[in-house]
Amino acid sequence: MRVGLPRALLYYRYGKLWERFLDGLGAEVVLSPKTDEAILDKGLACVSSEVCLPIKVVAGHIVELRDRVDAIFFPRLNWLHDRLYACPKMIGIVDVARMFLNDEVRLIAPTINGNFTRAHILAGLQICPNLFKVWQAWRSAVHRKSPRAEDRGPVARLPSSVYCYEPTVGLISHFYNLEDEFISGAIIKTFKENGYQILTKEDLSQKVLLNNRCFANNIRWVYERELFNAFEYLLGKVDGFCMVVSMGCGPDSLVAEFMRERAQAAQVPFLLLVIDEHTGTAGIVTRVEAFVELMKRRKQVRVCA
Amino acid sequence: MRVAIPYFGYDTLALKAFLEELGATVVMPPPTSRRTIEIGVKLAPELVCMPFKITLGNFIEALENGADTLLMAAGARKCRFGYYHYLQEKALRTVSKEFRIVPVTQYSAYDFIFKLIPELFDVKPAKVIIAVSHLLTKSALTRDFRRLLNRKRAVDFEEAERLKSSALQMIGAARTRNQMHQVHKDLGRMFALNGKSPDIRVGLVGEIFFTIDQAANQEIEKELARLGAEVVFERSLYNHLRHLLRSDFSYLRSRRLARTYLRECPGGEAIRTVGEAIWFVRQEVDGIVHLFPFTCMPENIALEALQRLSDSTGVPVLSLSFDEHTSNTGLVTRLEAFIELLKRRRRARRLSRN
Repeated sequence: MRVGLPRALLYYRYGKLWERFLDGLGAEVVLSPKTDEAILDKGLACVSSEVCLPIKVVAGHIVELRDRVDAIFFPRLNWLHDRLYACPKMIGIVDVARMFLNDEVRLIAPTINGNFTRAHILAGLQICPNLFKVWQAWRSAVHRKSPRAEDRGPVARLPSSVYCYEPTVGLISHFYNLEDEFISGAIIKTFKENGYQILTKEDLSQKVLLNNRCFANNIRWVYERELFNAFEYLLGKVDGFCMVVSMGCGPDSLVAEFMRERAQAAQVPFLLLVIDEHTGTAGIVTRVEAFVELMKRRKQVRVCA
Repeated sequence: MRVAIPYFGYDTLALKAFLEELGATVVMPPPTSRRTIEIGVKLAPELVCMPFKITLGNFIEALENGADTLLMAAGARKCRFGYYHYLQEKALRTVSKEFRIVPVTQYSAYDFIFKLIPELFDVKPAKVIIAVSHLLTKSALTRDFRRLLNRKRAVDFEEAERLKSSALQMIGAARTRNQMHQVHKDLGRMFALNGKSPDIRVGLVGEIFFTIDQAANQEIEKELARLGAEVVFERSLYNHLRHLLRSDFSYLRSRRLARTYLRECPGGEAIRTVGEAIWFVRQEVDGIVHLFPFTCMPENIALEALQRLSDSTGVPVLSLSFDEHTSNTGLVTRLEAFIELLKRRRRARRLSRN
């Protein structure tokens, strides 16, 4: 059985786990190619124009896989530990996918309600009817090191203060935006070319990200809480923050405002980049370069003072 | 303590009466106008959704009128709505320092009746229960008033508009349960159709604030009625309150019907929107109008489902997203075209039947 795995959205966090799990079940995993213009165009044709870029991208990946596989594995994250919800579009896109696939391809979409094991065992049974085998595949998939640890190497060492030698920027955005080269490749490249080290929330430990003290406790979206915690932690440790938000992202539109305010109070440069499918690379590069200039000057002023 | 609440369509009457019954001095801001929206937009983050901006504008105008306690519904879940009050408080601090914003968490009726309201207004829970029951009756009254008004407007526009203000006064003046029942009967008589019936019926679904508040949706019900369409709706403060009190059976129906399209609730009112739309299609409405604020997350998912519903049943669906730039002229043009489409479909069906 050929099972398709769209290389978008949650793939960037749980992809390796899912690949191992599906492998263990004896399915042939078909991964969609990296995002490009053609895939995005396919996505645009399937969903309304008002949804955010990552959703359009994931729709494109599903359409891309449609003709090549027997089933598509696309779990739905409803809520995680502590009743932290995913965003409404992330929950709803599974149903939208079911609608535009028109039952041509089977959609294996377990709903994760805080319990990964239960959801995946039920999904596994749809591929392989042997419960024991499914259990074994799941255990061996989970018992490896976590996918984040093995892909990214050791957690980046954090500079102790802004006075450190190497200039650093905190890139605050969702993992599915940052790890997709098509969406934010240009931004990351520009920062690196200008000699900036990039810190994202993926570089921080789980303990920092899951912190529920202070204001973070009021945020009930799982990934927004992580973003906010990462921001709070990095505040004072980096030269500036660049937040990449996709146009129409609801949770980000609120949380970005909290961050902007805090950055302003702490006098840390803060750049809010809103991207959608029409965003040109040139415009982004110009804005990032201007921001880099700002960060350099701010740092000089600080060091002089 | 001078309390203010944002506008919420005709249901503002019910909410205001509720607060007054608890002994609060209610300072209402002037009705939502172009200015309200403009000052709201100025202080709000750019990408946030429209109800935030309108209610923020209401609050600013309420502070100008001398309010010092602002009540805002809250309860953070999947939708942005639950987070409004944090940001609104921040934005309002730049205007005034002397106020407090009280988030009214929606999801626990117990906390509302026994903790929040008694502490806020210094009353006994028993009084709150009585006030809540009056609130329910009154919001049912405003809902039925809207239904009657929509039907009457569709057949006799001028007459209905003339009766509207006196009807609203009657609703505002009714205090006790008996008075409200009396007003209910009187309204039925006032808005009698005299044997006429509207040409076409349009189902109104979508985000609660936009379906209920006339200032937000630019009086879409009135515009549709002017074109000869009766607007039917399910969404109201009444059934929202019933939902919060765990006794809203229309929600169960919506959930059952919407399962064809949405298996999991994406938050907000997506399930209701889809469920009500399917229900309206079964009730043989001629078309469906779907309202939501620009970039509304749950309604965008519902929008996809409504498109499929329209494809499979053939009932036209008009999805309208609103933001501060939505012009009334553009809106009316789209509605005219939509109603023309519905009328032609109806004529074609009648011809084919003969």
